[in-house]
Amino acid sequence: MGDDMITEGMLDMFIFETEQGLENLENICLDSKDNGEFDDDHVNEIFRIMHTIKGASAVMMYQNITTLSHKLEDVFYYIRENQPENIPHAELLDYIFEVSDFISGELEKIKNGMESDGNADDLIEQLDAYLGKIQGNPAGAHAGDKGTQAAPVSVPAEKPHFYIAPVASERSMFYLIDITYSKNTDMANIKAYIAVNALKGIAEDILFTPADIISNPESANVVLEFGFKIALQTTAAADEIMELVNSSASIEQVEINECTSEEFIDFCTDAEAPISSAGEILMEPIEQPTVLIDEQKPETIVLTEEEKDTFAQKAKSEKDTGRKKAPKSPGKRTAVKKGETQSFISVNIKKMDLLMDLIGELVIAQAVVLQNPDLQVPGLDLTNFQKSASQLSKITSELQDAIMAMRMMPLKNTFQKMNRIVYDTSKKLGKDIELEVVGEDTEVDKNIIEHISDPLMHLIRNSVDHGIESNEKRMELGKTEKGKIILEAKNESGQVWISVSDNGKGLKREEILAKAKSNGLLGNRSEKDFTDKEVYNFITLPGFSTKKQVTEYSGRGVGMDVVVKNIQEVGGILDIESEEGKGSIMTMKIPLTLAIIDGMIFSVSGTNFVAATNSVTEFIRIDEQQVIVEPDGEEYVMIRENCYPLIRLNRFYHLEHGKDKMEDGIVIILSHEDRKIAIFVDELIGEQEIVVKPMPNYIKKVRGISGCTQLGDGSISLILDIAGLVTE
Amino acid sequence: MEEKKIVNEQDEKEQFMTFQCCNEIYGISLASVREIIGLQQYTSVPETDDYIMGLVNLRGKIIPVIDVRIRFGQEPLEYNDRTSVIVVQVKDIVIGLIVDGIEGVADIAKKDILPPPSVSSLKMQSRKYVFGIGRVDGAVKLLLDPDKLIHDIEETDLEQMSNTENEVE
Repeated sequence: MGDDMITEGMLDMFIFETEQGLENLENICLDSKDNGEFDDDHVNEIFRIMHTIKGASAVMMYQNITTLSHKLEDVFYYIRENQPENIPHAELLDYIFEVSDFISGELEKIKNGMESDGNADDLIEQLDAYLGKIQGNPAGAHAGDKGTQAAPVSVPAEKPHFYIAPVASERSMFYLIDITYSKNTDMANIKAYIAVNALKGIAEDILFTPADIISNPESANVVLEFGFKIALQTTAAADEIMELVNSSASIEQVEINECTSEEFIDFCTDAEAPISSAGEILMEPIEQPTVLIDEQKPETIVLTEEEKDTFAQKAKSEKDTGRKKAPKSPGKRTAVKKGETQSFISVNIKKMDLLMDLIGELVIAQAVVLQNPDLQVPGLDLTNFQKSASQLSKITSELQDAIMAMRMMPLKNTFQKMNRIVYDTSKKLGKDIELEVVGEDTEVDKNIIEHISDPLMHLIRNSVDHGIESNEKRMELGKTEKGKIILEAKNESGQVWISVSDNGKGLKREEILAKAKSNGLLGNRSEKDFTDKEVYNFITLPGFSTKKQVTEYSGRGVGMDVVVKNIQEVGGILDIESEEGKGSIMTMKIPLTLAIIDGMIFSVSGTNFVAATNSVTEFIRIDEQQVIVEPDGEEYVMIRENCYPLIRLNRFYHLEHGKDKMEDGIVIILSHEDRKIAIFVDELIGEQEIVVKPMPNYIKKVRGISGCTQLGDGSISLILDIAGLVTE
Repeated sequence: MEEKKIVNEQDEKEQFMTFQCCNEIYGISLASVREIIGLQQYTSVPETDDYIMGLVNLRGKIIPVIDVRIRFGQEPLEYNDRTSVIVVQVKDIVIGLIVDGIEGVADIAKKDILPPPSVSSLKMQSRKYVFGIGRVDGAVKLLLDPDKLIHDIEETDLEQMSNTENEVE
């Protein structure tokens, strides 16, 4: 990594791209695990991913990643070209996962500023063996000897190389450099690229042939065969160039000849000739953006001074924002990546907060303008004004929706990772387990997603390991259906509930109680006094594991208490339900500090309140006769044979001037889980999507209020804590 | 030398935002003032102390506003055009102070700040927030300690809050 050309921006981009690639890779593998084979699209996609990773890691000079991805690419190259049948699919998947794990591990090291020092030799050997195996298994008419790999596959659709006039300074000299590599050099194309990289520091202008050293691995052969030719415009002397170029051991000979600018230009026009005539380009050219090339027009290998500056600036700006950035590649790239329709850009969250605040201010300012008292002049014709005003309102409200949506991320990615965990764990334990994912589009604030990934992983592992019985045991018990884990997310009364349910053996009340007793946790209560929930909660205590044998995945008793701790960190709770022999359901209930919920807005003596729409069962106007007053002052309402406790919000909060007669106001029936209450309010205002914000610390906790929110008109409304009201 | 240094220190000036409230002029250190806004529609929060008027929206941030008059145990005044809100920040707490009117900014040298007199025409309640009396051009400004203004309630409230939170869990 001792290369000055490699900036932090490049590194960020490399990590980002590689991570994305690996994620895609895993998804493809998991998608296809039940099919028993990869279809053509998948093969191409995997090939492309490995190819990109190889190219990028070579530029970043992570040799171990390069060689490993190169090897896997070879395997897929073979599969793509020869389409062998009967590939041991599961074995291949394992290799892919191992490769992916290795690279992720190395990326993690790189991210933490450590050297990437992992050794992939074993894995490469295994892959070699695997490749040998599928090659020795020739199937299909045209497949066969290993020589196929070298046979021309398609006519290379060469892109014309344009020449951009160099900015020549007076002292500039032109050189033609010819580098010959020793015949047994591995990946000569990458070595060549390193030479180019070294020269960029002094180059005013640089051209090289073959031009596709990064995008086309076969160019290595061209380099070996014809040598690597560089045309360089620089103010540096020949010695200096020699020193920069001749650094690799595998270089046999370097020739440096000074030339004229005409010859230099000629070089560009001729550049294509030796390659295309030799017909050595064997691969279908795939637009493989590498970190550097990606930033320029792919056709152009000419790095002018100007372009270099832009690149440097880009790299710098990326560094400044201090965030990983999505590659900003031109449309061309997206066209190639057909599997991926979305593109992403990471933005500092502070900027998002700022934007959100500003939009809030805009909305208020808009209200001030549109309801300006100056407009209230009688007889003023406002037709046109109103038209423009409604247009403005529409745009601002859309703007508001957009910014709110930006903070939210679907749980999809987190859930997809669980696929892999179920696959790995169940495979190792020899259990046949299916994972069903429900509600993966449920959106959660980004911060919360980061916090729930670990606990979720624990829960899933627990289910696979303890929850679901082994295949034999299931047979014995007469459970016919396959072991199944359902991962579900949903919005429920201002919270997100993420549940992991399995159809395994469930929790054993007696066993847990016995363990709790031996740990002295029962106190002097009798065992029968404990509700199921209380009993199940014992398993969340530190060091509490009923599993007699410790496995690789769980049983050490550190799992559940860590899960609970993690969930509590984001203010959530873990709810455990279980039925012995049928399975258990673990639900993480996570309140959302920043969730967007649908809120029903109503007012009580001038103060606006919001209740989450999904907890509102009905609105009803009743008369005084339906109210039953208990001697202690508690009120109940009787609606269609159902009796609900009644809370008059105005009395509850001692608000003056509220409507007091039942006939004047309206009753809202709210439900929380299975309990319902009726609240009496003055009037309904409307329904709106709201962003839940906590009450400012300065104000002490008010009973029955869980937070506040800003309404579209800039006013503030209080959010009712329905769970709190119900249990009161 | 020693003496001169002391004099210099004494000459050092601090800036105070001055405002009217209850027929007195108060000053609050400019360092703690974030901005001044007009009084906007606020949403009252039930079951809070009477001087907490409610919540206002400060560019997407929701901040509480308190009426300084009521905080000082005075009769509230009807809000008018001169009524302003001084947004102050004490540590992490951002809060709006509703005052009768803004006067301006005064530079007061340290030597012109006297400790509050033990006997004062002020009612007790406001006195405990005043840390000194500043003399500027013959006029007297009562200098407020914003920390105290917010803090003495905050401690008990925070305690209460954490208690209730635990109960909820």
